[in-house]
Amino acid sequence: MIQIQGVHKWFGTNHVLRGVDLTIKDGETLVIIGRSGCGKSVLLKHIMAILEPDEGDIKIDGHSMFSMLPTEQDQFRLQLGMLFQGAALFDSLTVCENVGFSLFEHTNLSEDIIVQKVREKLSLVGLQGIEEHKPASLSGGMKKRVGLARAICNEPKIILYDEPTTGLDPINADVINDLILRMQAQLQVTSIVVTHDMISAYKVADRIAMLYEGRIIGVGTSDEIKNSEDPIIQQFITGSAKGPITDRHQETEPL
Amino acid sequence: MSHFKDLKRYVSVREWFEKFGVLCLRFFKNAGGISILFCDTCFLLWIKGFRWNTTLDQMNKIGVMSLPLVFLTSLFTGMVLALQGAYQLRLFAAQQFTADLVALSTVRELGPVLTAMVVAGRVGASIAAELGTMKVTEQIDALKALAANPVQYLVIPRFVAGFTMLFVLTVYADWIGMFGGYLISVFKLGMSSSQYIKRSFHAMLVKDVITGLIKAFFFGGIISVVGCYFGFQARGGAEGVGRATTLAVVVSLIMVIAFDALFTAIFYFV
Repeated sequence: MIQIQGVHKWFGTNHVLRGVDLTIKDGETLVIIGRSGCGKSVLLKHIMAILEPDEGDIKIDGHSMFSMLPTEQDQFRLQLGMLFQGAALFDSLTVCENVGFSLFEHTNLSEDIIVQKVREKLSLVGLQGIEEHKPASLSGGMKKRVGLARAICNEPKIILYDEPTTGLDPINADVINDLILRMQAQLQVTSIVVTHDMISAYKVADRIAMLYEGRIIGVGTSDEIKNSEDPIIQQFITGSAKGPITDRHQETEPL
Repeated sequence: MSHFKDLKRYVSVREWFEKFGVLCLRFFKNAGGISILFCDTCFLLWIKGFRWNTTLDQMNKIGVMSLPLVFLTSLFTGMVLALQGAYQLRLFAAQQFTADLVALSTVRELGPVLTAMVVAGRVGASIAAELGTMKVTEQIDALKALAANPVQYLVIPRFVAGFTMLFVLTVYADWIGMFGGYLISVFKLGMSSSQYIKRSFHAMLVKDVITGLIKAFFFGGIISVVGCYFGFQARGGAEGVGRATTLAVVVSLIMVIAFDALFTAIFYFV
């Protein structure tokens, strides 16, 4: 179980997270939705302990990564996998070295076994025969799938997806959605998906949480979110240009 | 109205103090950041050592690929030094001391400093741009997410390659610089080959060579750590990477010259 408790984060004078409270149960897929720049990716990086909160804490199975020593933190982090928004593949390494990175770095497995595992994970995401390619020669959709293969290579208990369908055509986006569902079914992992793509959110979510102005303003199943009476949630999920979000934004923008 | 505001800003003492304060804060933030990264690098290098394969790769990029540039810079500097030296020494009928002048200036000062400047421009910029691009494309975050320490994985190979290769490049630059002086002295000034070589080695003391090489060690460390620091600080896409690259080169050059002055002063008294 992941417990996010009163997390605040400032970047200079910009108060991005203003007391986020959220609990994610084991084995569920929680989708966090919200406008671009509202702090969704920042929240995900806090769960991964890449960023440290200025206030509050995040506990995974009762353990807070922020109170651990760096070596303990690294060991604990191996239980988590993360798919980055732009896949964040290492340009200088091949696909095989990218996917098997954590195995090469943190295990004593022989190269043959690692390559075998890499092939398994790549076939799980529907890719074959690209082990020796460099990331620069892959399409956007392939990069995301390689990124996902890298995230699951160490067989993590929790997978974090940062905008997995952004920048992809609808077909490739749906391929990624299917992959998220397949990971869930085959590996029984806890998943947190950050997105503003509502088609993707409805398809993969067990529950949806909306982040607005640094706080979680609503959590529920897809149906509960669809039927929410909160005008902010309604404006966001219907993608309307008029409503409380844009009204408030115009009020706060300088003339 | 806007002109009045601009004018007010220029004459406002408070704004001048604010700008000065911001500059001071930025200076101390960067100085502190570079020092912390240097300490982290040395500590991790001591505790965990370095990876041969990535370090050799960096040695190739920093050292071997800088050879042509260092060759040309040192050769022409040695030639210019001999010509300028002979021009002045001729006034005192002391042209034979050209060899002494070229050898001493190259080994003590110009060899390490010019090599450091060339490497700062070529390698410092490349390190900052590479790491800056990794930062803005979240590759550094991905390293952390995969439980790999970015300092250990990225900085240490560049740091080890930086200080060892600058040492080697400086030895190379010393020889090439003296060879440049030799070409001018023998083929233009009419000095005999054996006289030039004899005078060059006679003029140099072991201390001169060692002080130059100690400087080279430090300059290599400075260039790689500064390049890595500004690469890690890059933010905001291509513009941020460009800014980080410029800062890395400028700060490296200033630090090389400042530390050169410091070392020269120390070695003068020691």
